[in-house]
Amino acid sequence: MIETVHLSKRYGSLRALSDLNLRIEQGKVFGFIGPNGAGKSTTMLILATLLEPTEGQALVCGYDVMKEPAAVRQSIGYMPDFFGVYDNLTAREYLDFYAGAYKIPASKRTALIADLLELVNLSNKADAYVDSLSRGMQQRLGLARCLVHDPEVLILDEPASGLDPRARIELREILKQLRAMGKTILISSHILPELAELCDEIGVIEQGRLIACGALDDVSVRARGITLMLVRTLTNRHQAGRVLSQCPLVKDLEEQEDGFRFRFVGGEAEKAGLLQELVDAGAAVTYFGESSENLEAVFLAITEGVGG
Amino acid sequence: MREFLSNPILVKELRERFRTKRTVWILALYLLIMGGIPLGFLLINPLRAGTLGENSELFLISAAIHYAMICFVAPALTAGAISGERERQTLNILLTTQLSPRTIVWSKLVTSLAFTSLLLAASMPLYSLVMLYGSVSPEQVVKLVLFFAVNILFLGSLGLFCSTWIKRTAVSTITAYGIAFCFVVGTGLLFFFLGEILQQVDPDRYSHLVVWNLPELQILAGLNPVIVLFAILDESLMPSVEFAFTPWLFFDSCYLGLSVLFVLWSGYLLRPVRRRWWSWKKHPVRVQ
Repeated sequence: MIETVHLSKRYGSLRALSDLNLRIEQGKVFGFIGPNGAGKSTTMLILATLLEPTEGQALVCGYDVMKEPAAVRQSIGYMPDFFGVYDNLTAREYLDFYAGAYKIPASKRTALIADLLELVNLSNKADAYVDSLSRGMQQRLGLARCLVHDPEVLILDEPASGLDPRARIELREILKQLRAMGKTILISSHILPELAELCDEIGVIEQGRLIACGALDDVSVRARGITLMLVRTLTNRHQAGRVLSQCPLVKDLEEQEDGFRFRFVGGEAEKAGLLQELVDAGAAVTYFGESSENLEAVFLAITEGVGG
Repeated sequence: MREFLSNPILVKELRERFRTKRTVWILALYLLIMGGIPLGFLLINPLRAGTLGENSELFLISAAIHYAMICFVAPALTAGAISGERERQTLNILLTTQLSPRTIVWSKLVTSLAFTSLLLAASMPLYSLVMLYGSVSPEQVVKLVLFFAVNILFLGSLGLFCSTWIKRTAVSTITAYGIAFCFVVGTGLLFFFLGEILQQVDPDRYSHLVVWNLPELQILAGLNPVIVLFAILDESLMPSVEFAFTPWLFFDSCYLGLSVLFVLWSGYLLRPVRRRWWSWKKHPVRVQ
């Protein structure tokens, strides 16, 4: 559905993207992880036909982004990291404008717009002016705008940035619905744990190079023996801290209000051994397992030393 | 026609423009200025039966002010058309739709011109009052309207070009005014200075009678809207030019050509990926 072959982009002497080879199958949700300037947005701009690659080829739904841009545009719904809205247009008119821009017949638009507004939970704001909507609502409206021509692929560049937790959850729920509808989604985010829940596969990009790619489990933890762990104790917290700090497999130990968080370099047997040590030391362990922020550990572990 | 009227950008822009109070205020202010001048003239020179049809001053003043207003309004309305989309961060989204850059450009131009044309049309009835003072033929009025229309188109497309070329609206507006100044005043000054210099360098060859009618200087004069405006009104500026061609026709042709060039160039600049069209297949081919 999305494929890049030796895709590269240079801005003068700056190499924004270097030999990117990516393949995202139909119906998959692919999470793009990387720090600012890593090349995520550059890749998305190329896929959205807005930027010319210096080398390589990019295909969306089988269409080459450089040779058949109109066909690619019809196949994608693109949401940039920052986007504005038009003043003096209602949400309904806003979607009507984009429906017209995708040459959808006027007779079909009323029902289509009603469906889209319902999908993004904005039916009650249909006649509200777009600039009067909250950031989260505008983001959801932007998502509805992406879907106006029923594209097979969605390219979403940091859709959750700048949203409050509630708006982020609402957006995530809509994305889950879209995944259930069979849309292929390429999504980038800084909110890494959110991607973990949503994505079938992830790609870690750093300094324009794809340094890891695949199913979340394959890329991360078990394959590399690195896990972001969380340990909570009821009593003898001090003893637990001592055991953890002395364990050579424990890295970046942090004591937090709810327990200890650390990167663990080891397999299942080593984890069992550590738990045994904690219990033997008299710590009443109430939780011993992977942190929900595991994707951050993956990212940190994979990018460790890159560009250094 | 139906397709033209259902153009999404036209519909959106007209909705946006005519919903704001600013539009009403601009129209009211424009008519106040355009109507205030003939009224002031009426107060100073009341209509007398004996002088009807003999005083073309009011027509001249009205036409000059009308032209000045067009120079002021037309570039301003288009100089933010594309850069405004860029600043609002809506341009990239627009470019990923099925609207081609050329469609976006001409749609923006049409909506901006529609408003400037509305200003022109709304002030046309004032000319009925002006014509009472006379010395103006209906043919001159038609030529004048055509001259104004071409100027609106040219200045609008110039503003649009600057808006596509320059990222910031403020810079684009200033640049559009600067280039418009070169055409409106610059060509006139160049015409005048070249004539004067030629006279001073070789007074025997380029006498006062000869120099202003040199073909090169006539072309320069024919490109200057102020000189052409005065020619339409059968008035002459110092120095007088005896055109070997029809000045308004020459002016309109040249400026229509320039307008088309600006629109096509804007369409090219707006393309996210600029390329030679003949280098790739025209029809989409799905790669299996």
